[in-house]
Amino acid sequence: MQEYAIDYVLIPLIKIGIVFGALSGVIAYLTLLERKVIAFMQVRLGPMRVGPHGLLQPIADGLKLMLKEDIVPERADRWIFTLAPVITLVPAFIVFAVIPFGPTIHFLGRDIGLFITDINIGALYVMAISSIGILGIILGGWASNSKYPLLGALRSAAQMVSYEVALGFSIMGVLMLSRTLSLVGIVEAQRDSHVWYVFLQPLGFILFFICGVAETNRAPFDLPEAESELVAGFHTEYSGFRFSLFFLAEYAAMIVISSMAVTLFWGGWLRPFSSIAALGFLDVIPGVAWFALKVVIFLYFYLWFRASWPRYRYDQLMKVGWQILMPLAIANLIITAVLVLAFGGAK
Amino acid sequence: MIVKRPDLSFLKKIFFYDLIKGLLLTFSYQRPSANYTEQYPKERAKVAERFRGAPRLNNDPITGETLCIACNLCALACPEHCIEVGWERDPAGKKALTTYTFDLSRCMFCGLCEDACPTPCLELTQEFELSLYGRRDMKLDRQQLEAGVQPLIYTR
Repeated sequence: MQEYAIDYVLIPLIKIGIVFGALSGVIAYLTLLERKVIAFMQVRLGPMRVGPHGLLQPIADGLKLMLKEDIVPERADRWIFTLAPVITLVPAFIVFAVIPFGPTIHFLGRDIGLFITDINIGALYVMAISSIGILGIILGGWASNSKYPLLGALRSAAQMVSYEVALGFSIMGVLMLSRTLSLVGIVEAQRDSHVWYVFLQPLGFILFFICGVAETNRAPFDLPEAESELVAGFHTEYSGFRFSLFFLAEYAAMIVISSMAVTLFWGGWLRPFSSIAALGFLDVIPGVAWFALKVVIFLYFYLWFRASWPRYRYDQLMKVGWQILMPLAIANLIITAVLVLAFGGAK
Repeated sequence: MIVKRPDLSFLKKIFFYDLIKGLLLTFSYQRPSANYTEQYPKERAKVAERFRGAPRLNNDPITGETLCIACNLCALACPEHCIEVGWERDPAGKKALTTYTFDLSRCMFCGLCEDACPTPCLELTQEFELSLYGRRDMKLDRQQLEAGVQPLIYTR
């Protein structure tokens, strides 16, 4: 009975606490990283005053957002207006329940997997839950009862419809190769087949990442908040803490997409060339660190894109989504299916 | 206006040639030597050698007496009439400076007063921190002019 309580209550609670805490910290410092990286790319210095090289800036920003006045527009639908940021934030966080951060480790006489839970439909769960976040954006834009948020919300809806499909198709190739939907299973399949799936599915990976960037409403697909045309898009009417919830959700979604790209295509917690024994010295770096390193590289790409590329025009966005990404994703799916049938998987 | 799009070959298009070119450019700007930002109060901007800033009345470095001979040429040269020189005759009959006011609020820093000055007394220095709390404070008297504007130096 005691054992049962430890295995199924205590350990998961500790894991959830660690993941939640780490995630909040990563999001806070991701905002600083974004400001710094974009500043350097624009030959500026970025935040420098709060702490050495602005290292305490996220704390100052957080405090400011907490203390700011929380305004609800008079004509807004108060209930939905309040609910929308929560609807966006919660899915972005609970996706992390299935993302594996590292291999199963032996600790205090127990085998502890470095993931909160490993469900056999992990990839499906991530796809399903991460789509809910956009519902919050649409509701927030609608409930604000104001023109710019509404336009942002409409764009968000159109963008979701266009890119969700290609996103789903683009990971199908990986699922066919690994023959499992469990994210832990996918990483283990990459270990057993001695190759990261990005080398078998390069097109799938590129499509996944493009659609992922569009799914998280980041540049160059940040039409729902397009500050140069829509003021601030769907969160124009939001201020203070409610705005910060949207903000957190956006960054959490970026981390989700980066983690999914790492897990599905870049071998999750595996070190580079995990099958070559000669590189065994790389094993001193734990799997969690490899995972974190890869995720940070993808987050850097997000920021790099934002500093480099202009925003797509609305019709271009639709054209890219339906006329280019969709057919490519389906072609990739069919070719992978034929090859898997012909050669019996990558093994 | 007709915008001519760059005619990219098919290969360049499918491998995102132009997008990657942009990415590499922004990446190269991250080198610290490309950075332009000056951390102003901590790092002071370097002004040009011929920059004309806050006025100062110089004293003789040995005797400590003013170099001004109260000739009034600066006041005559000033297009804005912002300089007023006060003098009285000393027992020998020579002009001696008593008061000197310089109205910074009207000054346009043309430097004609500096050019007119026959001694090295009136000088427009390199100091550029001239903000004050009101127009009234901008009328500098002789003591202030002899002291010159003392910038608050911050350290890193």
